[in-house]
Amino acid sequence: MQQIKNFLKKTFVFATVLFIIVILTNFLLQYTNLGPEKFSKRFMFLLDNNLRGFIPLILLSIAQAIVLINGSIDLSIGNLMGVVAAFLVTQYSQDDSIARFFQVFIMAIGLGILLGALNGIFVSLVRIPPFITTYATSYVFIGIAMWILPRPGGNMPKIVTSFYKSTRPLGLPMGVWIIVSLMILWLLLRNTRFGAQLIAIGGNEKAAFTSGVPVTRQRIIVHMLAGFIGAFAALALVLFTGSSDPRIGATMTLDSVVAVVLGGTPMSGGIGGVVGPIFGVMTLGFVRNIVGFANVNTWLQSLVDALIILISLASPSFIQLIHKQVRK
Amino acid sequence: MSQYLTSNDIVKHFAGVTALSNGSLTAKSGEVVALIGANGSGKSTLCKIITGVVAPDDGQLLLNGTTISFSHPVEALKSGIAAVYQDLSLIPSLTVSQNIWLTREPMKGIFVNHREQRQRTQKLLDLFADTVRPSLTPNTLISELSPDERQIVEILKAISTEPHIMILDEATSSLDNRQVERLFSLISKWKKQDKAIIFISHRMAEVFKIADRITVLRNGKTVGDFESKMVKEKELISLMVENTKEHLEKVGETISKQLGETVLRVTDLRTQRLQGVNFEVKKGELLGIAGLQGHGQSDILNSVFGSIHFSGTIHFEGKNYQFKHTSESMEKDFALVPGDRAKEGLLMRSSIFENLLLPSWMKYGFPLNTRKAKKDALTTSQSIKIVMTGLNMPVSSLSGGNAQKVVIGKWLQRKPRILLLNDPTKGVDVGTKKEFYDLLKELCNTGISILFYSSDDEELVGLCDRVLVIRDGKIRTELPKSKLTLSSLITASVTSSEVHVHATN
Repeated sequence: MQQIKNFLKKTFVFATVLFIIVILTNFLLQYTNLGPEKFSKRFMFLLDNNLRGFIPLILLSIAQAIVLINGSIDLSIGNLMGVVAAFLVTQYSQDDSIARFFQVFIMAIGLGILLGALNGIFVSLVRIPPFITTYATSYVFIGIAMWILPRPGGNMPKIVTSFYKSTRPLGLPMGVWIIVSLMILWLLLRNTRFGAQLIAIGGNEKAAFTSGVPVTRQRIIVHMLAGFIGAFAALALVLFTGSSDPRIGATMTLDSVVAVVLGGTPMSGGIGGVVGPIFGVMTLGFVRNIVGFANVNTWLQSLVDALIILISLASPSFIQLIHKQVRK
Repeated sequence: MSQYLTSNDIVKHFAGVTALSNGSLTAKSGEVVALIGANGSGKSTLCKIITGVVAPDDGQLLLNGTTISFSHPVEALKSGIAAVYQDLSLIPSLTVSQNIWLTREPMKGIFVNHREQRQRTQKLLDLFADTVRPSLTPNTLISELSPDERQIVEILKAISTEPHIMILDEATSSLDNRQVERLFSLISKWKKQDKAIIFISHRMAEVFKIADRITVLRNGKTVGDFESKMVKEKELISLMVENTKEHLEKVGETISKQLGETVLRVTDLRTQRLQGVNFEVKKGELLGIAGLQGHGQSDILNSVFGSIHFSGTIHFEGKNYQFKHTSESMEKDFALVPGDRAKEGLLMRSSIFENLLLPSWMKYGFPLNTRKAKKDALTTSQSIKIVMTGLNMPVSSLSGGNAQKVVIGKWLQRKPRILLLNDPTKGVDVGTKKEFYDLLKELCNTGISILFYSSDDEELVGLCDRVLVIRDGKIRTELPKSKLTLSSLITASVTSSEVHVHATN
C-alpha cells in the first residue's frame, strides 16, 4: 500500500497515464475516419501523419531541454526556427535538385548556429540573464523572419517533400526513425566530455567553474547547439507544410518549455534527458488532436488543452495535499 | 620533485573591503603548514588566490622561484596545486565518480570510459573505507550524501589530481573523529611523498597535531610564522585575536547554578533518523547534544521546532504539542538557529536590519512602525555586539561569526523561551565564539532553556549543564555536569559508534 502511495506521488506516473489515455482516444477517434482499410495500414498511416506533425516541436523541445539542463533557458527557440524556415522557403523553388537542397540547408544550419551563438554570447559573455536575453532576441528573430518572408508562403523542392512524405524505411514511419536516432544521439552526447560538462554546469555553475569546466565557452556552445537543432526543426516544419509563416514559431517556444516539464525534466537544471520531452510533445500533440476532434470552439481549444496539462502537472502535489489534510 | 610555493604581500579588495592587505605564506615539499586566523582574516581568500579562483590586486606568487599568476583554477591544477574548498565544489545532481573526475574523465575515443572511472573512484573511496557508510559508492548521487561524506568526496577529488601542493581549507570541520584521523594518516603519507600541504582549521588541537609550521593571519595580514614545536597555543590565539585574549581561559570554566523546574519534556521522538528519543529540559538549562555527525542530532532540533515531520509528543509548560508548522512553535516562543546559516538562517543579500526583524514584523502594526523597529534592532545588535558598519549593510558583508550573531539576534527580538541551536559555532572564529559562549550563559541565566548541538566537543564540555550523546538515532549516554569531561564525551560518542557505525541507513 505504502509503495503504491509513493508511486502515485511521482510526476511521471500521471504523465504516463495521461499519455496512454490520450494516445488511445486519439487513435480511436482518427481510426474511424479512415474508411475500410486494413488495420495495420490504417494504424501506420495515423502514426506516420501524427509523428510528422510532431517532429518540429519534438526537435525544439530537445533543444529547449538541453538548454534547460544546462541551467539556461531559450525563449527565442520558436522564432529562431521561424527565421530558418523563412530562409528555407524563400531560397528554394519547386523544382530544385537534391544538390541545391543540401547546399541551401547547410547554409540554413549555419544561420541557426549563428542565431544561437548570438543568444549564447549575450547570456554567457555579456552576462545578461538568459530569460531576458532570449525574450529580447525572440523579437529580433521574428523581425528578421518577417523581413525575409513578409507574408506566409514560399516553396519547397518537390523531390524532397515527396521523399519525406512517402519513404518508410523498413516499413516504419520516418518519424519513428528520427525519434530513435535523436535518443541515440543524446545518449552519445551525454557520454562525451562536453555532455558531462553541459549537465554539470546546470547542476551547480560555480562548482563546475571551480572544477575547471570552461563554463562561459560551454554555455555559448550549448546555445549554438540549440540553434543547430532549431535549424533541423525548421526543415522538419517546412517539409511537413510545404511553406512557412514568419510567425509560425511564436507559440511553439512556450510549448517546448511545457513539453520538457510535462516530460518530467525540472526547469532548475542539472538533470533530464530527451526521452521526457519527446513524450511530452506527443502528449501535448495528442491532447490537442482530441480537443480538435471534439468539435470544441476554436477559441476554447487552447483553454481546454491548457487545463488538461495543468491538471496532469499538478496531480501529484494535489494528492499529497489531500493526503496531508486527511491525516490531520 | 621538490616544490616550493611562496606568496608575498598579496593584496585583495572586495567591493571596498580589504580582504587581504599583506598575505604571505610559504609551503615546502614534505611539510605541513597550518594557516590559522580568526574568521574574516583572509585565509580563504589567500587560498583562492593561490588556486586561481580569484585574482589578486597586488603581490607576488612564486612557484619554485618563478612568478606565476593563475586566471582559472585549471591552471593551478596543471601546476600541481589542488584545493579542498570550504564552500564545496560538488554538483548535487551528479554521481560521486562524475564529480571527482569532472573535466578529467578517463576517455575511450571521444566517450567517457565509465567503467574505468568507477574503478578509479572506488580506489579513492577505499582510502576512507570503514569511516563512511557502505552505501557510499562511485554511483551514489552527491545529493544523497551526508555533509561529512560530501567533504570526503571533496578531499578525494583533490587527491585525484595528484597534486604536489594540497590545500585543505577547513576540510575537517564536518568530519567526525575517525574520519579526521584517517585524513591525518593520509596527510602523513603525502608528507613522505614530498608533497606540500597547506592546512587550514579553527581547531587548535588539530593544528598542533598535524602541522610542522604555523602561519598566523590577522585582518588580512600575516602576523606570524612559527615552527609548531616552538610555539604555545596561547601565544597563537593572542596573535589571532588581539583584544579578546583575557576571555579565553574561561572557555573551560565550570558554572554551578540552580536550575528551575522542567519546562520541556520530549517523549518517544521518531523521524527517519531518530528511533525513540526521550529527554527533559529544565528552565535555564543549557542541554548539550553530542555524538558523531549525522546520527540524528539535527532531527531532534528540527522536530521540536516543527520544521520536519516526526512522531512523538512534546510536552511544554503543562500541555502536549505536535507542531506541524514553524509558526506554531514560534507562537510558543521557540526559536531555532539552523545549521546552515547562509541557506536556512539568513537572507544574505538583505540588510542586517531586515534580517533581524524578519520573524517579528507582526509586532510593528500597520503601517509598520519602522522607527521603533530600527530602535529595537539597534538595541539587539548592540547587546550581542554585532560588528558592522551599519544596520543597512547586507548580511553578506559580515564575517561568519557576526552573521551567526544576526541569526541569534533575530530570535532574541522575539524573546524566546526555548532556544534550539544547531552547530552555531561552525566556522566561527575564536574571539566571536567566546562572546557567543558568554551570550549563551547570560541567556540561560535569564531563564531561557537552550538545546545546543555542536560538533565541537570542547565547547559542549565547557558550556553545558548536561550532555546527551546520540548514536544511531537514540540517546546512548547521558553525561551530567559532574561526569562531563572531554575524554568521557569522546569515549561515549566514539567507542559506541565503533561497534554500530554501519547500522545506520
